[in-house]
Amino acid sequence: MEKVLCVDDDLSLLRLYQEELAEEGYKVILAKDGKEALRKFEKEPPNVVVMDIRMPVMDGIETLTAMLGKDRQIPVILNTAYPQYRENFMTWGAEAYVIKSSDLTELKAKIREVLDKRKKTGQI
Amino acid sequence: MAGGKGERLYPLTQDRAKPAVPFGGIYRIIDFTLSNCLNSGIRRINLLTQYKSLSLNRHIMQCWNIFNPELDEFINLIPAQQRVSEDWYLGTADAIYQNIYVLQTDRPDLVLILSGDHIYKMNYMEMIAFHQERRADLTVAVIEMSKNLSRELGVIQVDEDYRIIGFEEKPAIPKTIPGHPDLILGNMGVYVFNTEVLVRRVIEDAKDRNSQHDFGKNVIPAMVGQDRVYAYSFRDENKKVAKYWRDVGTIDAYYEVSMDLVAIDPQFNLYDQAWPIRTFLPPVPPAKTVFFEEHEGGRVGVAYNSILSSGCIISGGKVFRSILSPRVYIHSYSEVRDSILLDDVDVGRHARLNRVIADKGVRIPQGYQIGFNLKEDAKKFTVTQSGIVLISKGTLLG
Repeated sequence: MEKVLCVDDDLSLLRLYQEELAEEGYKVILAKDGKEALRKFEKEPPNVVVMDIRMPVMDGIETLTAMLGKDRQIPVILNTAYPQYRENFMTWGAEAYVIKSSDLTELKAKIREVLDKRKKTGQI
Repeated sequence: MAGGKGERLYPLTQDRAKPAVPFGGIYRIIDFTLSNCLNSGIRRINLLTQYKSLSLNRHIMQCWNIFNPELDEFINLIPAQQRVSEDWYLGTADAIYQNIYVLQTDRPDLVLILSGDHIYKMNYMEMIAFHQERRADLTVAVIEMSKNLSRELGVIQVDEDYRIIGFEEKPAIPKTIPGHPDLILGNMGVYVFNTEVLVRRVIEDAKDRNSQHDFGKNVIPAMVGQDRVYAYSFRDENKKVAKYWRDVGTIDAYYEVSMDLVAIDPQFNLYDQAWPIRTFLPPVPPAKTVFFEEHEGGRVGVAYNSILSSGCIISGGKVFRSILSPRVYIHSYSEVRDSILLDDVDVGRHARLNRVIADKGVRIPQGYQIGFNLKEDAKKFTVTQSGIVLISKGTLLG
């Protein structure tokens, strides 16, 4: 089963991820900030990460950097309400950038696309 | 880039990074690239270091701490931070990848990438003007070289407009310059990048498991055909007939490039006041020769065709075609030929040196001879292919 690690400080959004992504057939792992995400990332390496940028404790950019430090190939989808982060070089190591919405259609398509690409290159 | 191990320069790199290796009596190798920056008006410099950087850091603090932060000038020494990687720098491109944060902080439009271990004189602003004129994503400085050197260089092919159409790293059979079957265009390791393109390409490279994360081997070949990549023909500021650019990558190359400086008319010009080479000079007195006893067997302190740095004392010994760094002491009746003696070397009475490189602080005992019987020398010292004997730092003799 493909594993998706979802990181966001909005707990209701985490619940939505859990519900909708499990429905798609993924194993969903949840974390409420970057620190927790890194712990779970190491304990149970995911196939793809969906992550917010603005979070308390450890933000998404720092967490992305730390994740890439452990696995340069890990695809991370940044999911944020703020498009201005797209200009920040530190986000360019992410696989994709999706503007946050309660409609997960675009995000789900992106997750599928990223995982299919990984399968094609033999990384899953 | 000042992070290379310089393994082929060992034991000169036993305790120091290659850019910090002393050269030409008073300089360090990195002084030439940094002087190029200063003479080109480039005063915002990040120096990426990693191995054995103590003497390099000290030299930069002593000599290059001259930029004014109030004018937004700086020289930053940046060791590997392990920010985006748990590795040391895996290659030149990885060194940039690991410092994307620095580029995000400064957000320059262009990044000039230089090696800290080449000897040449170049006005980088002319190259930057060329880069902007061509609206290039990347411009690579190239120099015409003999095709026999292709195994040591990146070899570049260009179209009439100098757009790069081919790039091979160290090929055995290189593509020569059209109309010049003996010449190739060699990559000098001097790059001007549009920052955004640089960041994108080094991230792509970092994620490529098959890459060695090197600009010459991986990033540039991948960019040719995809981005606007141009070659800039090196315009030399050395004011000699042949263009001058040297990589002192091996002990033999180091020796040869150094000894050029004591020629009557050296290829590399240290004396052009319009292109000063800056370095750190310790507060020591001027060089001095002592003894001129004209009777037979008398002591004479002389130096012929040599470079003598401040603080040297030639006291009753003879020096021929040699380079003496600061505070070298040559004692009576000794003889030094075709040698390079680094700071504080002491040559005892009646000692004889021939084609020797002695690292800092080496003391040659009275009557000792080095460089006359290479078989014997090889038991104690490093002897190179061309017969140069290297006495490393801390060697105890006698």
